[in-house]
Amino acid sequence: MRPAMTKKLLALALLAIAFPVAAASGDAEVGKKKSTPCAACHGANGVSVSPEFPNLAGQYEDYLESALKHYKNGKRKNPIMTAQAANLTEKDIMDLAAYFASQNALQVKH
Amino acid sequence: MLLYNLRLPQSNKTDGPRGPMHPKRILLAAAALAACVPAAYADDNKLTLENRIAQCQGCHGIPDWKTAFPEVYRVPKLGGQKPAYIVSALKEYRSGDRDFPTMRAIAANLTDAEIEGVAKYYGGDAAAPAGDRK
Repeated sequence: MRPAMTKKLLALALLAIAFPVAAASGDAEVGKKKSTPCAACHGANGVSVSPEFPNLAGQYEDYLESALKHYKNGKRKNPIMTAQAANLTEKDIMDLAAYFASQNALQVKH
Repeated sequence: MLLYNLRLPQSNKTDGPRGPMHPKRILLAAAALAACVPAAYADDNKLTLENRIAQCQGCHGIPDWKTAFPEVYRVPKLGGQKPAYIVSALKEYRSGDRDFPTMRAIAANLTDAEIEGVAKYYGGDAAAPAGDRK
């Protein structure tokens, strides 16, 4: 096989790998619109107003996704969050996670 | 002293770069081990809050650190989290209400005071949304 052709094939293969990953992540803008119910407890900017509700702003996207999925499937139990997550689709969960992950507040404390 | 009678099989496979391990060196190693182990157990009762926090930092202190079991995702950031939320999360792990094997194992031995201390450490400066994201 000619080197140029090999390169093209390699580029195609890389695209094929990269594209589904990109398509699978949430849309922060859409998530913002869906986040109105969250704000009641977690604050307008993902920083909650009440001490017992966790801040979400700046949390890792994949952690937020798994937390919401666990509330939805019953693995994680909380009366408020179980009810909230019950109606979320997988896409809703990804969009919300992308939105809160895009904000600033939580940090990795060293 | 049974160890004095210990003989290693004379096989090239077990030989290190300095040749077969001499029984005296085995004895020395065993003695060193014996000296360490009881001390480590005794210290169990004297874990400080710093020790506990070090335990947390092993995962939560490393940017983008991922859990490997039972699912793969980045372990949550705790810096700036609400202290009361950290307390309730740790107590839920301790009681088994919240189900994540690693955290249940760690929280199982935490006292209320240690939980409060850890929460204060991570959430102590949980004021305004600020700082750079990591």
